[in-house]
Amino acid sequence: MRGHGFWSDVKKYRTLLLMLVPGVLFFLLFAYIPMAGIVLAFKQFNYSGGIFGSPWNGMDNFRFFFESGDAWRVTRNTALYNIAFIVVNNLLQIFAAILLFEVAGKWFRKITQTVMFLPYFISWVVVGAIAYNLFNYDVGTINVLLNKIGMESIDIYNTAAYWPVILVLVSAWKALGYGTIMYLAAITSIDTEMYEAAEIDGANIFQRIRKITIPNLMPTIIILVLLAIGNIFRGDFGMFYNMVGNNGLLFSSTDVIDTFVFRSLITSNEIGMSAAAGFYQSVLGFATIMLANYAVRKYDKDHALF
Amino acid sequence: MKQQKRRFMFLLAMVFAVSALLSACGGNGGGKDASGAKNANTGSNAAVNSANSGGDQAGPDISQEVKLKMLLVGGKPADYDEVFGELNKLLKEKINATVETEFLDWADWTQKYPLKFAANEDFDIVYTANWAFYNDQARKGGFLELTEDMLKTYMPKTWEAMPAVSWDQAKVDGKLYMVPNNNMEVTDKVVIIREDLRKKYNLEPINSPETYAAYVKAVGANEKGMSAFGAKPADGWKWHELDQALLEQQNEWNLIDYSFPLAYKLTDEKGQLFNVYDTPEFRELLTYYKDLADNKGWSKNIVSNKNDVWQDMKAGKVGSYAQTLGTVGANLAELRRDKPEYEGAIVDLTPDKKKIASISTQNGMAIHATSKNAERSLMLIDLLQNDKEIHDLTMYGIAGKHYEPVGDDRFSAGPSAANYTGFSNWGWNSPLNRKDASYPVEADEILKDWEPKVHHFALETFVFDDSKVKNEVSNVGNVMLRYAIPLEYGLIDDLDKGQAELIKQLNSAGIGKIQEELQSQIDAFLAAQQ
Repeated sequence: MRGHGFWSDVKKYRTLLLMLVPGVLFFLLFAYIPMAGIVLAFKQFNYSGGIFGSPWNGMDNFRFFFESGDAWRVTRNTALYNIAFIVVNNLLQIFAAILLFEVAGKWFRKITQTVMFLPYFISWVVVGAIAYNLFNYDVGTINVLLNKIGMESIDIYNTAAYWPVILVLVSAWKALGYGTIMYLAAITSIDTEMYEAAEIDGANIFQRIRKITIPNLMPTIIILVLLAIGNIFRGDFGMFYNMVGNNGLLFSSTDVIDTFVFRSLITSNEIGMSAAAGFYQSVLGFATIMLANYAVRKYDKDHALF
Repeated sequence: MKQQKRRFMFLLAMVFAVSALLSACGGNGGGKDASGAKNANTGSNAAVNSANSGGDQAGPDISQEVKLKMLLVGGKPADYDEVFGELNKLLKEKINATVETEFLDWADWTQKYPLKFAANEDFDIVYTANWAFYNDQARKGGFLELTEDMLKTYMPKTWEAMPAVSWDQAKVDGKLYMVPNNNMEVTDKVVIIREDLRKKYNLEPINSPETYAAYVKAVGANEKGMSAFGAKPADGWKWHELDQALLEQQNEWNLIDYSFPLAYKLTDEKGQLFNVYDTPEFRELLTYYKDLADNKGWSKNIVSNKNDVWQDMKAGKVGSYAQTLGTVGANLAELRRDKPEYEGAIVDLTPDKKKIASISTQNGMAIHATSKNAERSLMLIDLLQNDKEIHDLTMYGIAGKHYEPVGDDRFSAGPSAANYTGFSNWGWNSPLNRKDASYPVEADEILKDWEPKVHHFALETFVFDDSKVKNEVSNVGNVMLRYAIPLEYGLIDDLDKGQAELIKQLNSAGIGKIQEELQSQIDAFLAAQQ
């Protein structure tokens, strides 16, 4: 009997369990315990009461967000930007990973990987400053070049229409290296015998990519996309704030929930209202990930997260 | 094998121990803080009570040595250790205490400052001001309430020196939480220009919006690579930076709070509010701004600016900018020292209008609500503000090194002046302040000229309690950033349409509700004064 008890299982898988501990601790400390702070969304926060002692105020904290008339606009912007980021970034990353895999030459591959990875380490503050020096109307690099070849300056910072494109490109540029490495690792783990067999059967390189690489990548793609979908209602604050700043002319096409809430509440320091907005994002995110996972399960049970 | 097992068990035990410890920290943090706060409150109250009963005979009890902790805003000066080391020697002698200071850097103090209170960190004294969360924190219970008895007992010198009106101005909902500074300032904005450029283009002396426009246009048209007017990096400020001069001062209005566009006329004793965006004066000003913007008065990207405007001006990239008299006075002195090839000048665009004096809460010091050493903290503030030796030391550094005393009330910069400056020691400004001997005479003259024009009015000390209309204030602020700023900087071509859109958006954001609430508070305030 002793051989099949709970404790003997613990003993049997102790190494695996030990490896699990840091991850569990991380989520316990930074995700589960702070979750109690959600109560702030329903409280009128004051310092003497603290998180748990402050008086309740029902749904008052949510009024600010929904009465602003901007709730729909910023929610839509957030979701659309994230969908664009997920599609564009993943396609580019898969494409780059397949190219790198097929290209021979260890040195070439390593150097390309490193160069692609570098932007990932640049902080958004720095990217924002670089962008300002590129796009500035009077002295920006792009406009100086345009003037040199006899064209008119373009007023990027005052034209909202350019920004969705700019933001998608910048996001792709920054995330490319990181995602490529993940996909490259997945491709490298595909059984090479399949490629050899295909080659012997006379499949050309495009056929091999279509019939072997992509189907074998599918589980990885689905998991990464599913994880990204859970965050679809969270704007990348660092990116949007540093690229756009407080430029009111661009808000119509660049405002996401996070920047909107930050801007509205930074001067009033209403912790409760910010918590309410965060809660709203979490609820939406939870709903989308449940739906997406349900859809994947319908399609193929093995690929779903849970 | 056995040893391996033992090692594993040890590791596992460690992991559990660490996780238990960590989660205990996380779980109890709030509770511990709250109870700590309660204890400290009763503690300091008890101390105050006992001091009140026995204070007459013996004075405050300072037999126990204490360490005080102070929070100031600004960068930590390089010679902090030296100057505050000296200070601590004096303090040890006078009140048997030492002080340690933490500096909240300018770059992110607005985020850190409220967090210090939210996390209930351990500190005793904190810088505060009407522009630095004073009302907000006072209402949230971040500061210790100061009673008249406490002030008389622990800060007799300050009690004697401070005018009664300054105490009154610092009250929030009838309660005092701050020891305000004791120093009159005028809040009006002036403009610093490049006098050499004005002369180069043979322009009239600048003393009105029209003469200033001529300067801006001349510089915009002829100086390549220079913006005639510059603004600070966009940090959420919701106005054109000339609005205070050209909208508020020019029309003798007073905006209650720069978070929303409601003002009353200075001469209106009833304090009748109106929306400044919905006035012919604002419409005229829009035309004025648009004209400047179209004549290259400022960069098309002014709202995305990321550079420090004063540094840009020193570098010859900006031709003018607006600030308070004190700031541009110091700027001018700096320009004369560092860039003698440029000639600067301070100009007042509204010289004949009524001036408004800053109220005492422009700078001040407060006691943290949970401080365990409130008495000694008050004694320290008393010394900082009104003890000549300590005041000189903390304001200007070490004589002969950071400053040279000139007579009794002036100073000149010492060899390492730059190593002791740039933080909020203005919290204890007082009549003991020395004047910078290199401070431009013009600036002093402007101030002297202003003094008879300073207008005192019934609503001077009125403070708005926005707790009922917070949603509306947040939303109105957003509308101002999105619709008013681009309109004012001339980035929208159709001014009438732009103004109509702005007003429409403000109405749907709830400006009417703010106005109603504010008006009723003003009416009540005025009624209570009679």
